[in-house]
Amino acid sequence: MLAAIVVAGVLAAYFLVYLPSTRRTAVKTLVYAYNDKITGIDPSIEDDTGLVVIGSVYETLLRYDPVRNVTVPVLAESWESSENGTVWVFRLRRGVVFHDGTPFNATAVKLSIERARDVYRETGRGAGYIWDAVEEVEVVDDYTVRIKLSYPQRLDLMAAASYAAYIFSPSALAKAGASSPLDPKLEEWFNGGNDAGSGPYYIEYYSPESEVRLRKFEKWWGWNLANNPDAPDVVVIKVRPDPLDQYNGLLAGEIDIASSVPRANVRDLAARGFKVINLTTFHNYILLLNVRRYPTSVKEFRLALLHAIPWDEVVSVALRGFGRLGSGILPYGFPGHVEGLRYTYNPTLVREYLEKSGVGSGAVVEFAYQSDYEENEAFAQLLKSRLAEFNITVVLKPMAWTAVKDAGKEVWTDPDKAPHLIISDWWPTMPSPYDYLYSLLHSESQEWNWAGYNNTEFDELIDSAYELEGANYSEALQLYADAQRIVHEEGVAVNLWDEVRPFVVSERVEVPDGALNPLYMYVIRFEYVKVRE
Amino acid sequence: MPLSLNYLVKRLLWSVSVLVGVVVFSYLVIILSPGDPAVKWAGNPRGPGATKAVEEARRELGLDLPLYLQVLNFLRMVFTGDLGLSIAYRQPVFAVLSRNLTATLELLAFAYLIGAPLGSLLGVLAALRRGARLDGFLQTLGLALASTPTFWLGMAIFAALLPSGFAPYGRVSTGLALATGFQAVTGFYLIDAILQLNPSVFLDVLARLIPPALAVAAYPLGVCLRISRALVADALLEEYVRAAVAWGVKRRAVVWSYAFRAALPGLVQVAGIAFAYSLVDAMVVEYVFGREGLGRLLFDAITLSDFKLAIGLLVLVATFYLVVNTLADIAQALIDPRVKL
Repeated sequence: MLAAIVVAGVLAAYFLVYLPSTRRTAVKTLVYAYNDKITGIDPSIEDDTGLVVIGSVYETLLRYDPVRNVTVPVLAESWESSENGTVWVFRLRRGVVFHDGTPFNATAVKLSIERARDVYRETGRGAGYIWDAVEEVEVVDDYTVRIKLSYPQRLDLMAAASYAAYIFSPSALAKAGASSPLDPKLEEWFNGGNDAGSGPYYIEYYSPESEVRLRKFEKWWGWNLANNPDAPDVVVIKVRPDPLDQYNGLLAGEIDIASSVPRANVRDLAARGFKVINLTTFHNYILLLNVRRYPTSVKEFRLALLHAIPWDEVVSVALRGFGRLGSGILPYGFPGHVEGLRYTYNPTLVREYLEKSGVGSGAVVEFAYQSDYEENEAFAQLLKSRLAEFNITVVLKPMAWTAVKDAGKEVWTDPDKAPHLIISDWWPTMPSPYDYLYSLLHSESQEWNWAGYNNTEFDELIDSAYELEGANYSEALQLYADAQRIVHEEGVAVNLWDEVRPFVVSERVEVPDGALNPLYMYVIRFEYVKVRE
Repeated sequence: MPLSLNYLVKRLLWSVSVLVGVVVFSYLVIILSPGDPAVKWAGNPRGPGATKAVEEARRELGLDLPLYLQVLNFLRMVFTGDLGLSIAYRQPVFAVLSRNLTATLELLAFAYLIGAPLGSLLGVLAALRRGARLDGFLQTLGLALASTPTFWLGMAIFAALLPSGFAPYGRVSTGLALATGFQAVTGFYLIDAILQLNPSVFLDVLARLIPPALAVAAYPLGVCLRISRALVADALLEEYVRAAVAWGVKRRAVVWSYAFRAALPGLVQVAGIAFAYSLVDAMVVEYVFGREGLGRLLFDAITLSDFKLAIGLLVLVATFYLVVNTLADIAQALIDPRVKL
């Protein structure tokens, strides 16, 4: 009886006292649900999901504008190159301070660039390869840096990269007790939840498996430019990998911006008054065909497979409309993207190619893909059913991402154990076609080239193009296009689709154009977001 | 004293051997499964130096050593209490675990405070009405609660509350916590709210705790109901109880001081096992309700090939089982003089 009374009392309190709204905040709070675990926040080294935090806490010298394909000023106000793109001078913004109050200057730029580059050179970690051409970073004065390169490069694009281009305060070394920029203590200090950035928000709480809390940095230099009195005072980034979890959080009023909800629920949410922002991203899904294992080692068989895919159904069926059909390897809107490098569903051509290939009837191919992407599963089912019409059996191998990567890499060591077909999803570090083409198809890139593709002509074309970017950008883009045509003709890889990501936003929040940028994956420029109470 | 040194030494040795088994078995299963932890430790590198970075990471993690040496190294790390940094998060394993442990324990403890006493009480009630409709109903209820999948129950409760306008998502309202300056100090939010004299956060935390706790409480409630019913019913038939009735001892004293007391040692033993079992239920239910905790952490650790975090967590769970079962044995011995340990 006593227990029943206690329970009844608690329940009464629960319903009667709780009912008043929980949102009686005097602090403008924004809760952003992010769909992945945060793997680190070292501004020089992090090369994965930590970008979602780093992008709001640190700043780069420049930012990439994908609409105009130009770089725009951030910490650098102006820049110029000379000597055929081998010397670059950046003039820095004055009056900028880091979160600990130390002034931003050329020394910070030199330290940040050199650390990213040197960590990469020493260990291979991070995206410091973007600074590979940098020979010397010279501090001309407090607000001018001159960077000398070993070969011509579009250094302005590197300075706007989404990884390894962030500037941090030199005071971090002393705080971390690090003896040099490469001292592991500095990385531990950063990953312990400390920051040394100059961005509009600073880290207040860091728990990478569940939640990161950012607070508005009142001394940020850009508040006047942002001109947004409704910017959030506190941003809570909730780690919520499960789309259904994000859906529940939206309905519960505990999430303001969801980065990933089940696609089937997007319409339902829109009907309930949530806003949906469809961002066409540079995140694309590339189908790679194992050129080292029979029967996909036969070019004609590969082309038969590619013409057997019902391309007009890929976006509508596999992606429920949330995608854009790919062309070539690079996503739409990205420098070097080529239209018209698509295959078409053509049963006659399929039969012709199959006959030419010499692969007998009843071929079996294995298809590996990441199982927790609903679009991959839907595409796999579509592929399996359509290839069955041509008496080709597809053995589906859904697996966790780490297992997909293991299987993909195996193409170089034991190609007969690697799957015939595999999907790799990619997003760029730097706004250069080389980012995709090198990683996914260059013969030196054995971590990511899961086709096992080794074509000297292709390698030379993209290597030349990369070195030409600084001297003759348009000619470099032409070489990248030529390289993609080779891949298309050989049927080695194809961009299946560019992802269209529906960000679902609560009524009290407004996300203006420009707060999202496809280069900086999942980074929301919270300084432009309006939060209403 | 019902406890002997011999029992404690045996129990300790047995516990250590169980933990060694858990570590060795878990390590082998995780390491031999697809997924290379070195890739994650290298930071998922993408550039031309990616292969070099992964090889270096493999060396740093000791994954280049023969398997038996890897296992021995890892056992040493576990038993010296230094698992180093989590592979996925690059933070100390124990820091990550402790942040999430309190969330799960709070849910588990609260659920048990509801489930075990209520189940025991209903069991006594059923025993007193043995053979009546109420007895049949309560026994069926106990069976249903003990056998209902907890995750399903959690989802059903969450879905049922949604139309009310309140969904118990997360551990505390983010906006409320920030507005009132709530800080997690102990990690047990109810206690933290009391310590900070923050009634609004206390009520909010409580409101979000009750629904998942009801789901977790289902199993101990059902088990305690059935066990308590069976033991008390048996005790009521004992001669000394019937003699007490014949001597005119008050009904309340007969039920609680004689019958229930006789049932208590067995009930404690079963409740102890159910408590440990409910830890797993809590880990599942917290996922359904968008709460942080060990369940989400374990799932993520496995998918991220973070063997240090995953095994650290499994060792923690195994230790919890061992401690709770040992405490249940000791409690049984303290209650029942016939039991000698």
